[in-house]
Amino acid sequence: MDSRITIINEIASRVKERIANRKPELGIVLGSGLGRLADAIEDPITIPYRLLPNFPISTAVGHKGNFIIGKLGGKTVIAMQGRIHYYEGYGMDKVVLPIRVMMAVGIKTLIVSNAAGGVGFHLHLGDLMIIKDHINLLPNPLIGPNFDQFGPRFPDMTRPYDPKLIKMAKEIGQELGIELKEGVYVGGTGPSYETPAEYKFFRIIGGDAVGMSTIPEVIVARHANIPVFGISVITNEAHDDYAEDYVNDGQDVVVAANAAADRMTLLITKMIERI
Amino acid sequence: MSIIDTIKLANEYLQQILEGRKPLVGIVLGSGLGRLADEIEDPLIIPYGRIPGFPVSTAIGHKGQFIVGKLSGKMVVAMQGRIHYYEGYGMNLVTLPIRMMKLMGIQYLFVSNAAGGTNLSYSVGDLMIIRDHINLMPNPLIGPNLDDFGPRFPDMTRPYDPKLIQLAEEIAAQKGLTLQKGVYIGCSGPCYETPAEYRYFRAIGGDAVGMSTVPEVIVARHSSIPVFGISVITDVAHDTEDEEYVTDGEAIVKAANAAADKMIVLFREMIAKL
Repeated sequence: MDSRITIINEIASRVKERIANRKPELGIVLGSGLGRLADAIEDPITIPYRLLPNFPISTAVGHKGNFIIGKLGGKTVIAMQGRIHYYEGYGMDKVVLPIRVMMAVGIKTLIVSNAAGGVGFHLHLGDLMIIKDHINLLPNPLIGPNFDQFGPRFPDMTRPYDPKLIKMAKEIGQELGIELKEGVYVGGTGPSYETPAEYKFFRIIGGDAVGMSTIPEVIVARHANIPVFGISVITNEAHDDYAEDYVNDGQDVVVAANAAADRMTLLITKMIERI
Repeated sequence: MSIIDTIKLANEYLQQILEGRKPLVGIVLGSGLGRLADEIEDPLIIPYGRIPGFPVSTAIGHKGQFIVGKLSGKMVVAMQGRIHYYEGYGMNLVTLPIRMMKLMGIQYLFVSNAAGGTNLSYSVGDLMIIRDHINLMPNPLIGPNLDDFGPRFPDMTRPYDPKLIQLAEEIAAQKGLTLQKGVYIGCSGPCYETPAEYRYFRAIGGDAVGMSTVPEVIVARHSSIPVFGISVITDVAHDTEDEEYVTDGEAIVKAANAAADKMIVLFREMIAKL
């Protein structure tokens, strides 16, 4: 058997042992500062990544490294509290390994979240943006021999984000009075933040927000035909004509993400109830 | 083994097999375009798997081979099956067959591919002369320069030879073939493009997008080999997010097959006039 599959199956069986008869229907990836959604999960079982064989360890600021399995919105979910980023130096196979493990555990839907910089001038600090599409500027995670068990050699990407889930999010947003923006997420490697010229480049090519994650995870989920819902918390505003005293501060990002996390938690909980 | 040693070993093997054959034209046959190979007379078939240092993989399968023989009265070498970056090979291996054809002595390189049309006026089955490209893949010349092949900083002002483009346009006019002419964007794949990515490619000046060709062209131009490139448009821009649209791999192969005949006519006529 493909040794890559053996590694995935080993980790998945370790997770399944720990969670016994619970069967997660949904996977959730919690972005920078959004790990607080995990606190809303009832009756949680926490599995630290470091206890899983061959599993990468999240080193990013604001990211813990745990799977949390429990109830949210009345359904059993598995959440990644802390994702693996390409900029940490892991190969793409490691970056997407947790997603493949969640698929092997049995999730039917994937919800991804991130903290992103607002490229579009209509986006402001603390906004929630539904990801309707993406532009991938990171290496493609499917490069290499195809995993035939998961999906085809050339997967379609016409609808990377599920139109029905987007519609549901908008309806819930309206019901709860949560303002939601919508846009295209551009994924670059980081870890340096974008220059003003890069911000302008991303705007020219049709981007609304930019970040350093999410797309590899979405591609791998879509490869296996798993419907995806994605949301960005805008933690930084377009600054391509910024003031001379402007400083881009990692700490600001975490603070802004925390402020928006409550609304995102509410939205996602309601969505899960209806899925 | 260094790439220089790999090239040397493979070349020793190939020179032995070729028994003095010296192809004038190298041809890279893209997805669904392999049929041109059937028209090569007196073919000498060299499977990649027998060449020392060549990648052996299930992805390439049994179709990965050089075919050396006569086409339109000229000696040619065709690559039936190319090596793609998305298969997981390094750029040195992706472009190794081009280096080998250079050492076989080719004076021209013809490349073909199946591509998605980002230009909204293109239709499935169109042929597009590649007049220029935008490289969104790693550059295949990264690493120590192979001085025997070309300079450290090769010019890319004319990646596709203006005279060959003119020749193609003359022949197309004579034969009543309609040709588009545009810019090819090369990206890694293997997943197809999102609607937002299609819009991005159009915004930066792309007319078609695919997962090959550009590394091969860069390596050929490194050695100053004139290149002619053609894309068969097998898919069209779908950035309207039409709810019913599905990118279908099988439809792509069919469209490529239908357009292959036209491309074969064009290549044959062009090679006859070289």
